[in-house]
Amino acid sequence: MPRPTRISPRSTGLFHALFFLILIVFAGSVRAQSADAALYGAGEKIFKANCQSCHKPHVKQATGPALKDARARWEGQGDIYAWVRNSQTVVKSGNAYAQKLFGEWNQIMTPQALTNEEIDAVLYYADNFVPPAPKGGDQPTPVGAPAPEAPMWPWLIVVGLLLAVVTLSLGGVRKSLTSAVREAEGQRPIGDRTGLQRLYHWAGDNKIFASVIGLSLVTWFLVAAWYWALTIGVYGGDTVEHYKPEQPILFNHTLHAGKADKNNLAINCQYCHSSAEKSKHAGIPSANVCMNCHKAVAQGRSDAGTKEIQKIYAAVGWDPEKLAYTGKEDPIEWVKVHNLPDHAFFSHAQHVAVGKLECQECHGPIDEKMDVAEQWAPLTMGWCIQCHNEKDVKMAGNGYYDELMVRMEANEKLGHRELKEYLEDEKITVKELGGWECAKCHY
Amino acid sequence: MRMQPLSIGTALTVMALFTACGEPNSPGVEYMPDMYRSPSMEAYLDYGQDPFIFGDSLAEAQRERQSARLPVAGTVPFSMDPSKKEFNFPYPYPATPEGYEQAGLELKSPIAMTQQAVDQGKVIYTKFCLHCHGEKGEGDGAVVTNGKYSQPPSYTAALKDLPEGKIFHSLVYGKNVAMGSHAGQLDKEERWLVTRYVQYLQNGGKMDRAVTAPADSTAAPASAAPAVK
Repeated sequence: MPRPTRISPRSTGLFHALFFLILIVFAGSVRAQSADAALYGAGEKIFKANCQSCHKPHVKQATGPALKDARARWEGQGDIYAWVRNSQTVVKSGNAYAQKLFGEWNQIMTPQALTNEEIDAVLYYADNFVPPAPKGGDQPTPVGAPAPEAPMWPWLIVVGLLLAVVTLSLGGVRKSLTSAVREAEGQRPIGDRTGLQRLYHWAGDNKIFASVIGLSLVTWFLVAAWYWALTIGVYGGDTVEHYKPEQPILFNHTLHAGKADKNNLAINCQYCHSSAEKSKHAGIPSANVCMNCHKAVAQGRSDAGTKEIQKIYAAVGWDPEKLAYTGKEDPIEWVKVHNLPDHAFFSHAQHVAVGKLECQECHGPIDEKMDVAEQWAPLTMGWCIQCHNEKDVKMAGNGYYDELMVRMEANEKLGHRELKEYLEDEKITVKELGGWECAKCHY
Repeated sequence: MRMQPLSIGTALTVMALFTACGEPNSPGVEYMPDMYRSPSMEAYLDYGQDPFIFGDSLAEAQRERQSARLPVAGTVPFSMDPSKKEFNFPYPYPATPEGYEQAGLELKSPIAMTQQAVDQGKVIYTKFCLHCHGEKGEGDGAVVTNGKYSQPPSYTAALKDLPEGKIFHSLVYGKNVAMGSHAGQLDKEERWLVTRYVQYLQNGGKMDRAVTAPADSTAAPASAAPAVK
């Protein structure tokens, strides 16, 4: 068996030599790096200007292959410079590798007018690509609901039980003491009365006090019951907890639609809910709208996000490795958030296209602080008609009201009088144009 | 202390009632289910009586049904409006590189290059394109800058001379993998309008041809004309 080597004082000389050798090699590589940094920078510049729409340096992009090791792959296969300058001529010249590439990706690469040196720089950049470190500080909000808070009520029950035990035992002590006193004074002990009987006798002795307390209790109960009844079936607004169902995919509204200056993507609401302008429903986007971007975006900003993107792939049957649909679909069962009863008519198209309301006026700050969509407005009739009473109709440049204005102005008697009445508060509200008619919404 | 078992029972019942409403996915109570649920077909059907509380078989059946569906195979959107007859025909070019080239050569917009078309196209561009292609079409939208998405080529540089047929083709089928098809979100008229705005951007944000009609700010956008009750 070989003995384990020991570091003896005699071997330090060897170590010094090794150390210097390492130092020299390291210094050499540093110098080489600084010399090549210029090439790397030049390559990066050309890459960003010409290539990055379709290629990434280190990973296979949706449209084109990774450029890393492209030169090595082309080694002995043909002229990579000619390929970059015009891929189709290489394909047509009968180059087997070029034809294989074209068949694999089925994309015509845009011809690039670059010199050999420029192509060298790009390939050097791709081969030595170092992904930029993620920006610190402004980490985006992670996808998914925050950890649920521990509920309070078990503790309240424990405290209540403790108090009850203390009260009962104190009461018991007091009762036995009183009984003992009464017995000592030769009176009848009160131990045989129940709690309710004692309350009854006490109320009989203090009639006014008892009736005041009783009346206040009844009033309080009625008022509380009234306010509680007003929240039945209401799942939005200021008085109740908002309805916020758990969705099959934790889509983050803030990340997708939030402001661009807060590192969000600032996608317009109507990009996904595109039927809001044309239909009664704003529409839940079909998964192909997700795939407009997520074909190319398989990585979320966090692991949790990546997991949610995988769920879209499972739903539409997309293979992110092969970049192709498999045909195995499994519809996403979204949970409807805003449940408007059928006896009330509501049309998004009227409110968006004609009324020119912003989404946020009814749906709240969905692009600012709602990672998960929730019902923001109460959707009660009071809430609807309050807005119809206050909002002025945006008539200027709104073709839907031209005919109305023409008719009112043409009718000198009735039309002018109505117009004058409407304009007393300097605006024409929805109510004044019939927005409070029952049959406007209930028919 | 005879009352104690009863009052404890009452308290438990009340508590049970309140916790029954604690199911986070429960859409809650409804007063008159027959007025809540439409007997006719409705989009996004699942608003039946709460199956979490009542276990209603109808609600459960509705829950199982798919509410967003594809149009019947072979149907095309059709308008009787004679001014929209250009948009009734199906799109003839296939989703191949050859189809793309052919569309670039042959396909011409049925909408004239007017200030009004550009204005309407801008509204659509703002909703559907801006977040990637950027305000001036230079490929600097928030999805690219904040989202690290592959940058689309600039309308004023690489795509300066892209013909309108190719722009339209890319809207129908998507381009490469980074841009998906937008045919589901935009109808043909909207696609042509936004194509006009893209051409306006290609021209550096000015009209290249004589303006044939002045901007009519009072006219309703032709793209947004839903039936208003």
